[in-house]
Amino acid sequence: MASSWCWSCLSRLRAPSTPRAILPPQSITPRLTTASFHSSAVQYANPTKKKGALVAVKYRQGQTLRRKKKKTTERARPPAVGERKALRKRIVLSNPNALEVEGMQDLSSETMIDARLRGSVLGLPVPMLDQLRAVQAFKPKQGWSIFRRPATVLRRDTLEMARLFEKISGEGDAAEKGKVVKKIITGLKGSGKTVHLLQAMAMGFLKKWVVVTVPDARELVSGDTSYSPIEGTNPPQYVQPNAVSALLMRTVEANRQVLSGLKVSQKHTGLPSLKPSSTLEDLAKLGFQDAAVAWPVFQALWTELTATAAAPGMEKDFKARPPMLVTVDGIAHWMKESAYRASDFTPVHAHDLVFVKHFLSLLQNGQASLKNGGMVLYATSTSNNPSIYTLEVALDQLAARQAGTSPSSPEYPSPEAYSGADARVLDLFKPTTGKEPQFELQTLGGLTRDEARGYLEYFARSGLLREEVNETWVGEKWSLSGGGIIGELEKLGRHVRTAAQTTPVLN
Amino acid sequence: MVFILGVNFPERNLLKKSLETFFGVGGHTSSRLLARFNIHPTCRVGELANKQVLDLTAVLSDMKIENDLRREVLNDIKRLKETGTYRGRRHALGLPVRGQRTRTQIKTPVKLNRMERRL
Amino acid sequence: MARPTSNGLVQAFQALRLHSSSTSRPVTRCLARQTRTYATEVEGQPSALETQEQAPAAPEIDFTNFARRPARIVPASPSYFSGSPRFIDHVLQLEQLQAKYASLPTVAAGDAPRMAWFKLAQFRDYVGEPVPMKKYKSLVKILQRLNRIQPEMVPGEVRNTLEEFLRPGNPYAVQHVPRTVDENGRARAKGKRKESTAVVQLVEGEGEVLVNGKSLVEAFQRVHDRESALWALRCTQRLDKYNAWITVRGGGVTGQAEAITLAIGRALLLHEPALKPVLRKAGVITVDARRVERKKPGHVKARKMPTWVKR
Repeated sequence: MASSWCWSCLSRLRAPSTPRAILPPQSITPRLTTASFHSSAVQYANPTKKKGALVAVKYRQGQTLRRKKKKTTERARPPAVGERKALRKRIVLSNPNALEVEGMQDLSSETMIDARLRGSVLGLPVPMLDQLRAVQAFKPKQGWSIFRRPATVLRRDTLEMARLFEKISGEGDAAEKGKVVKKIITGLKGSGKTVHLLQAMAMGFLKKWVVVTVPDARELVSGDTSYSPIEGTNPPQYVQPNAVSALLMRTVEANRQVLSGLKVSQKHTGLPSLKPSSTLEDLAKLGFQDAAVAWPVFQALWTELTATAAAPGMEKDFKARPPMLVTVDGIAHWMKESAYRASDFTPVHAHDLVFVKHFLSLLQNGQASLKNGGMVLYATSTSNNPSIYTLEVALDQLAARQAGTSPSSPEYPSPEAYSGADARVLDLFKPTTGKEPQFELQTLGGLTRDEARGYLEYFARSGLLREEVNETWVGEKWSLSGGGIIGELEKLGRHVRTAAQTTPVLN
Repeated sequence: MVFILGVNFPERNLLKKSLETFFGVGGHTSSRLLARFNIHPTCRVGELANKQVLDLTAVLSDMKIENDLRREVLNDIKRLKETGTYRGRRHALGLPVRGQRTRTQIKTPVKLNRMERRL
Repeated sequence: MARPTSNGLVQAFQALRLHSSSTSRPVTRCLARQTRTYATEVEGQPSALETQEQAPAAPEIDFTNFARRPARIVPASPSYFSGSPRFIDHVLQLEQLQAKYASLPTVAAGDAPRMAWFKLAQFRDYVGEPVPMKKYKSLVKILQRLNRIQPEMVPGEVRNTLEEFLRPGNPYAVQHVPRTVDENGRARAKGKRKESTAVVQLVEGEGEVLVNGKSLVEAFQRVHDRESALWALRCTQRLDKYNAWITVRGGGVTGQAEAITLAIGRALLLHEPALKPVLRKAGVITVDARRVERKKPGHVKARKMPTWVKR
């Protein structure tokens, strides 16, 4: 029971002049009509009911203890189906509170090969953002949402890649038109592998290439999309119609401009509903309208895109096909058995899924497959990543080959005996034969100090960082981020307030 | 709503869980059923093609599940009781049948083992 | 060995014979004098009494040599029947020496020459007896007292005895060599914290750090740990002037990071001794000697007691 006294200052004493000892009990005292010194609600509250003996027992009323039933609390409605996932996967590319960085240049065909701009941050062109979103180039938790608009650093690897784009497109000085460059991109956690792919996609869009991407390799092997065996294959191969249809949708969405300008030039016997005069966009659309034909449609689209000449009788409006960019993020998922099961309940190896097999085969016969040239970029991932021993060995072998160790020498890494290495994975990474160019291993390291400085200055100019960005400060952050690992630099850049104060102990 | 073996399932439900609602189909059987018809493990009931539904229904109707299985189990218990075996007696007494301790933790047999066995 | 003993025996017998003859002569002489006083001038006629007196006397018993073996073997040392005779012999010997030379002038304990006495385990090996720690301490106390005798006046006996109790080799003779940067420009230093031990090789460079062959980011996921590991370099603003190659073992993440802090601080001091006040103030070269307190029997944890229950 709340006392009507303020025991700390005894303000109730002021109102009546009667001494405290003979003050009548509260229930009898008339309630105050004027406000006293305290305006607390306590004094105006209804007198609390006395419990127990004071409550008169009514006639014939039970005296047993009556407990109140537990109140059923109103629960908020659970979020609608898919709402949580949508929230989790939501990608925010802009923060209106961040400052606009003045004088920031956009990524364009000129700026991306400009070595003078190395270390500066280039904004992604705004019209391109929809395309990049369509190919799911942005990932949640990449920190796009803290800046005014998405932008990436022009680092050494980016510049090198941009020059390759230039060469393959047949511009530049040493044009290598129609060449295929195949790379496996690895690196530490936070070293910018996925953003490297994003930059590649952006350049692909700038150069009007056809960009085909698998943003998350895991989705194909985690048993989350439908699969069905292909008749007459032994060992059975499986096609994933919904995944292929999603891929077609992504490709069309992102490359609409290019695809709608290209006409069908081959005969596709498997697709009777295809009109001879239709564009490649129409062709792809067939696939995502009906998932059952998605795989044949994808194959048809692939032959169209890699065609060098039209089939006889269809040369009328044949245009040269652009080079292609193929990217896959998180290939480690494709190096193990998938979550799918064959009819006899044995697990299906990822290489038995035709979708996966198609993309992985580009490593061995990329040039044969991509006749118009292009780039194949497969990145490993360090988040939600299976640890696959055979892949580690295979990448070590690749690195050794690149360093000039011959596969017959004793230093050449090989899987340990009884380690149960996966022969199919090792086979995939064996050196290519014939005219086929070798695929390379590209390990992304940290930024250099200058690049790191440019990156941190971008933070400061966006209003996120209130430190003076100078040589020593950047050097310090560079060391703390393990030698310029860009993801760590980002953490340091945005957590600058919480970091300990640098005490200038030296005078 | 999709009918599988005469039972109506909402489309949003997971197929695997839906199959497991049948008496006599557990995780082991349901995952093998899915593999047999090449249905991915996270398939929803609504995603099934008509043929797959028919296939599943056909296989399920051949299996000894639901009331057939119940009847068989009850018959087995009844046989035990009638032949006067120890196990039959334990079933009738509502005590654990397979030599478990009875000092503690016999809630389940107390609940299930009756003269008229519940299933 | 046989010859000297037989010689000794022979000598002993001769001595015995000599002794007996020399003693017998005065007796007879005095007896003769007595006879002269009492008897007549008759000489050369030995009386019956005289003949009786001249019977050969039994040889004197020599208590130093027993003809036969004693009934029981007498131990060489009186402390033979104690639990640790050799130890007690040593103590007695030292006590005797201490008493003997108690009057010699002494120097203060700090001025006495530094002696590396046996460690307890070594002493146990030396005497071959399980000497308790406390008793050995009392022995060392006597040793130290003897060692305090003014060096010029130490008797040879004392010196020899003290030398018996020295450890082989003289650890105090080894001169302490201050660590320096080696010829390759590396400064090597160790640091410990909690259960972790870190060894750092610090060279001049451009701020690259490898921990157990991994980058700093891989070794320490938390930014805080990275900062604390490099705190010595950071608070002196040397982060981009040195490369560190670190091996760290044991303990958890925090312990490893802070062990590295200490090791880098010490290694940095080898490069730049002038930084000592700065590093001291930054708390980098202060050793944190705290360790986890052991759990005791009867306790729930190190200090916590079980709840007291009446009965």
